[in-house]
Amino acid sequence: MFDIIGKRLWFFLFSGLILVPGLIFIVLTPLSNGKQGLQFSVDYTGGTVWEIKFVNPDADGADVARVLTEYGIVEPEISKDTAGYFKIRMKETNLMPPPTLPPTAGPSSSASPEASSSANPEASASAAASASPSAEATPAPTPLPSGCVRRIPDVGKLADIAVALQADPNLGPIECTREQTTVGPVVSGEMIQQTILLIFAGSIGILIWIGIRFRSIKFGATALAALIHDVIVVVGIFAILGTLFRVQIDSLFVTAMLTVIGFSVHDTIVVFDRIRENKTRHAGEPFDQIVNHSILQTFGRSINTSFTVVLTLTALLLFAGASIQYFVLALLIGIVSGTYSSIFNASPLLVIWQLWEDRRRARELALARASRRR
Amino acid sequence: MAQWRNHAPSPATLLSSRLVRRLLPLLILVLGAFAIYIDLPGSRFMVLSNPDTGFTQPLETKLGLDLKGGLQIKYMVPSQYSPSSEDMEVIRTIMENRINTTGAGEIVVQTVGSNQIQVEVPDVKDPDAVRQLVRQTGTLEFVLLPPETYGTSQAAGSVAVPQKGEKIDPSLEAQFTGAELDAGKVLARYDTTYQWVVDFGFKGDAATRFSDWTGEHIDDFFAIVLDGKVVSAPSINAKIEGGSGFIYGNFDASSAKELATILRYGALPYPVEELDVREIPATLGQSFLNQTLFAGGVGILLVMLFMLIYYRLPGVVADLALVYYGLVVLAIFRIIPVTLTLAGIAGFVLSVGMAVDANILIFERTKEELRAGKTLIAATEAGFNRAWNSIFDSNVSSMITAAILYFFGSPTVRGFALVLMIGVAMSMFSAITVSRTMLRGIVQQRFAERAWLFGVSNEEFQARALQGRYRREGRRHV
Repeated sequence: MFDIIGKRLWFFLFSGLILVPGLIFIVLTPLSNGKQGLQFSVDYTGGTVWEIKFVNPDADGADVARVLTEYGIVEPEISKDTAGYFKIRMKETNLMPPPTLPPTAGPSSSASPEASSSANPEASASAAASASPSAEATPAPTPLPSGCVRRIPDVGKLADIAVALQADPNLGPIECTREQTTVGPVVSGEMIQQTILLIFAGSIGILIWIGIRFRSIKFGATALAALIHDVIVVVGIFAILGTLFRVQIDSLFVTAMLTVIGFSVHDTIVVFDRIRENKTRHAGEPFDQIVNHSILQTFGRSINTSFTVVLTLTALLLFAGASIQYFVLALLIGIVSGTYSSIFNASPLLVIWQLWEDRRRARELALARASRRR
Repeated sequence: MAQWRNHAPSPATLLSSRLVRRLLPLLILVLGAFAIYIDLPGSRFMVLSNPDTGFTQPLETKLGLDLKGGLQIKYMVPSQYSPSSEDMEVIRTIMENRINTTGAGEIVVQTVGSNQIQVEVPDVKDPDAVRQLVRQTGTLEFVLLPPETYGTSQAAGSVAVPQKGEKIDPSLEAQFTGAELDAGKVLARYDTTYQWVVDFGFKGDAATRFSDWTGEHIDDFFAIVLDGKVVSAPSINAKIEGGSGFIYGNFDASSAKELATILRYGALPYPVEELDVREIPATLGQSFLNQTLFAGGVGILLVMLFMLIYYRLPGVVADLALVYYGLVVLAIFRIIPVTLTLAGIAGFVLSVGMAVDANILIFERTKEELRAGKTLIAATEAGFNRAWNSIFDSNVSSMITAAILYFFGSPTVRGFALVLMIGVAMSMFSAITVSRTMLRGIVQQRFAERAWLFGVSNEEFQARALQGRYRREGRRHV
């Protein structure tokens, strides 16, 4: 029979091999002031994202960056996707035009303010009525490729930038535009706070639930330890991916984390449930053997339950497109890690705790006996 | 330490009563047929989130903004105002009314947290116009410009009368406000003088006061001020009878209509700030949707294939239960209705992977019981009953995290959480009723008495021998 409990240190070591580098890269985030480690999307940092595609297929990101820098954009981040779209990320949040009040929108050229009451319309001369420069310059209607939208801002700083980009000899006219997003700094500050709070609340919820259902702090706490393991693995891997490949964490990440927290405990529960059952059935056997036995008995189903989820997630990862790619990846990593930690971390930890408790009890017993003898 | 066998509220006792056993297949069939009806395109039924509309509402699968494209804006009331929840509801309603006048499709305006409002407008043609319209506070004031400083229409004063767009001197007091306007009398129209004007009228007492006030201030200037900026500053030529008039200040059709809308639905109790603006083109959403549906389809097929190969006859049952699960969940999405976002669809696909988990736990346990020497029928019953504890506990764990996301998460996250909650609840239902009822029916059939159908070896399979003997002896199953 395979001795998982006996080899527990090896399994802890393997977890450590992922946890330690992960933690290092997580800590790197505040140390490097966000340059390395976890990379947060505009959802968290605030800023503006604008996706555009030039008619010229050879348009270069470096040229885009140069034009943007000329316009005072500090360190724009530009990436080009396979469809030819440039994703331009800027820290500035004031690029879109501030909403203006409609009656004051056009520069009024009227000399004398006018109004009238319906009782005496003759009193108000209406000389200024014709001067209404409200028609905004719309881009010339060029035929667009299908599936392509062209909406270029006509007011605000982004409009100036759009003009400059199109005037640049290396870039030329913009063909299509995609998402245009501005996130203010207030939202982003809240987001980080909320993410941490939600993950914390989720973990506490699970701890309480397992504690109640198994009537044991030990079960609850070891399940929680496995959860924290999974959270650190996912966040750590994203910190590494962020450093190496600039993979960003967006608002969906917190969703993925909570789903992982909720799901990764499934396998732990299956093993724990079996441990509880075997404990009454095989009372008197050493606890580590009961646990080892329980793990092996439930091994197949732990793997299979996770495997079906991995199947669906892999399909999503491969075919569902770029916008939820990292969301799915986070789920996938979390669920694989969850299965591992249920089998190889949570139950061995339970054994360690139990053995430590037994030893302490034996020591107390021995002490009590000794004092009685004396 | 005391050992507790701490059973989840077991469905076993309830489901084993004879009456329930008889009725359950019928119930499942009725529910399934109903789900299929709801899922059919063009079907009509009651929408649960709005029951007043009756039973003939056309149903549709609602898609989120990321899938159909549109404009999403988040507003915040600056924290120094500390708005009450009633204030937020007032702001929400006013914003909703204002956007509705633009003829936009299905708009969503919802409060987020204590001081934020999220606005979603699909199929928006002119996003900037919507942004302008929504965010204006819309406080209209009638301010008398004191003749001592501003002069009268007969004699110029020391200070020039403010022009359109200029800020009004904040020390001047408002005589009348937009709150005193009669919404029914506000109208944008093209005047006989060939310009756009906005008619207004005061209600009740204010109408009399307005006409008295104009009578007292003939020849004086007054300013019509919107959100602190002058719209127009005419002089009063005569007493205005009836308390109504019109505002005129270089409007074009759209700005006149916009002002009328703002006056009609009133001013926001507090000014709002834009926090976050997103524009998603509709075509992009469509391609996301297609990709995700394809990916989800592939994922679900793989899961079904796996169940079939690995669990054989019970696998077939699980697959049928999964189809049932999908139909019912889709029906629930349509009837509540749940707005499906990209993440929501991913959540549904994920929940399919999770839905078969309960079946896996049950079938593995059944195998174990078969190997322990139980007959087929006894083993399936035991499989369901013994696996129930784990299924219940683990699904509640998922529910806890989904509920935390739903109640404390942002609206984007909330859709995913709702999908997950519905998925988890339905997967438990389908595992313990649908799979179980089907399997119960099947294991009593003769063709089922084959070891390979259950993935166990012939030596381990007691069912055939024992059941055959019982049948010969005319006994019922033990």
